[in-house]
Amino acid sequence: MSDFTLGELDREGALQESLAGVWGCTRADFLGKAVVGGGALLGALAAPWEAGAAGAVTDSQILNFALTLEELQAAFYTESERSGAVRGKLRLIPRKLGAVERAHVAAIRGVLGRKAIKRPFFNFRGVTESQDAFLRTAVAFEDLGVTAYKAQASRIDSPAVLAAAVAIHSVEARHAAWMRYLVGVTPAQRAFDLGKPEGEIRSIVASTRFIVSSPNQTGRGSPRFTG
Amino acid sequence: MSPTQPTRGRPRSALVVGGAIALVVLAVLAVGLPRLLGGGGEGSLPAAATESERAARQPASEAAELPASPEPAFTVARPEPLRRTRDVSRWASVLREVPARTAPAEESRVVASLARTTAEGTTNIVLVLDRDEDAAGRLWIRVRVPALPNGQTGWVPRTALGGYGLVRTRLLVDRRRLTATLFRGGRKVFEAPVGIGREAWPTPPGDFYIRNKLKSYDDPFYGPLAFGTSARSAVLTDWPAGGFVGIHGTNQPELVPGRISHGCIRLKNPDILRLGRLMPVGTPLTVL
Repeated sequence: MSDFTLGELDREGALQESLAGVWGCTRADFLGKAVVGGGALLGALAAPWEAGAAGAVTDSQILNFALTLEELQAAFYTESERSGAVRGKLRLIPRKLGAVERAHVAAIRGVLGRKAIKRPFFNFRGVTESQDAFLRTAVAFEDLGVTAYKAQASRIDSPAVLAAAVAIHSVEARHAAWMRYLVGVTPAQRAFDLGKPEGEIRSIVASTRFIVSSPNQTGRGSPRFTG
Repeated sequence: MSPTQPTRGRPRSALVVGGAIALVVLAVLAVGLPRLLGGGGEGSLPAAATESERAARQPASEAAELPASPEPAFTVARPEPLRRTRDVSRWASVLREVPARTAPAEESRVVASLARTTAEGTTNIVLVLDRDEDAAGRLWIRVRVPALPNGQTGWVPRTALGGYGLVRTRLLVDRRRLTATLFRGGRKVFEAPVGIGREAWPTPPGDFYIRNKLKSYDDPFYGPLAFGTSARSAVLTDWPAGGFVGIHGTNQPELVPGRISHGCIRLKNPDILRLGRLMPVGTPLTVL
């Protein structure tokens, strides 16, 4: 799996469609050719807005972008809770955060309706099945969510959509502080949060490759079963 | 304290000076405070200013006149606890050809080799049963193996598998009653009569899973839709593609129910089409 590109993995095209909406076709095309193992996909999803990277972006496109990240977080916590790998008092982390992220997903899907992207398929590569890996990944995911919402907020047209996005953003920020505290990282190191440079975000997600294409389960060839 | 007594540690002259300073400060405040609060001077409103203009200059009024915050376009309902995990099964795709072993260790005996794809060209998936870590901290997953003898399980490194898929369904084929029953979340959602293997080519009993789904092929013998399973005929081992047992439709519905096949599970075409809508790939299968 190490040399797959997003274009190969995202056969349904849902993620590239979402990317094209937010970042413009040129960048989405670049990402489609980029090796996913390089963290290009998530790094770009969370990167601060670059002027001129895309033309007019609709609020629906930005919400689909947010939905992708919320799906990622929800799936991560859900799978962790199901695996039972996080034990003791920490067991409530995937349970509590998963419940919130699933509610975010449901709310955004509710407002997008038929415009919502198809749910991506994830391969968390074992990080949901190890407590240490789970906590480290949770910190990265929550920081990613905070940065992503902040980066997109200034592009939202509708004050009503902005109000909803900001309401989610502050919850993500609390999650991030909580996770940072648990792993011994200072929750707020600076008085003014400028956000992370794109390169830093890329390095955070470089080892992930969590979003993959769903397996091909349906064939059209003639059966050769025993009959 | 007597007024004739000297204040402890503080001379009488100091008290007099302190009192004088206090009087001066009070006088300054009496004159300057109204000006600071807008009662006069350059910063204050002219005497002709209206009451509303005066009010508008007051900080408290400015805050009161801010427009109300917009209503959010959507609100997030209460957190959604995970639905019960009973009756949930996990499957995973095989990412690379990998040996399945008797224990979660590289040196343990190989049970079977797992390929990336099935004979039908679909992604090879395995049912996930358990997990463990080896001495080096590597994660291993115990999976149901689609190999003879039927019913085997084996351990593979987590890195050889893809993401987990979830199903809440379970299919039960009863060879005595000649029925197939599908459960979702523990509740029966489908039941239909089936044809199973003849005595010479029996449908194997045991625990299996649905590996893939085939449709749009041109072979009326299998009906309009076929599911591949991990079960294999223990008798027809030289059958093309390994003798896997399928669940499919038929062009001879009058033979269903009955013991009429080479081991496959046959349903009437309307039933297999309905099952196709209800049963996802990865569903565990039990043949009694």
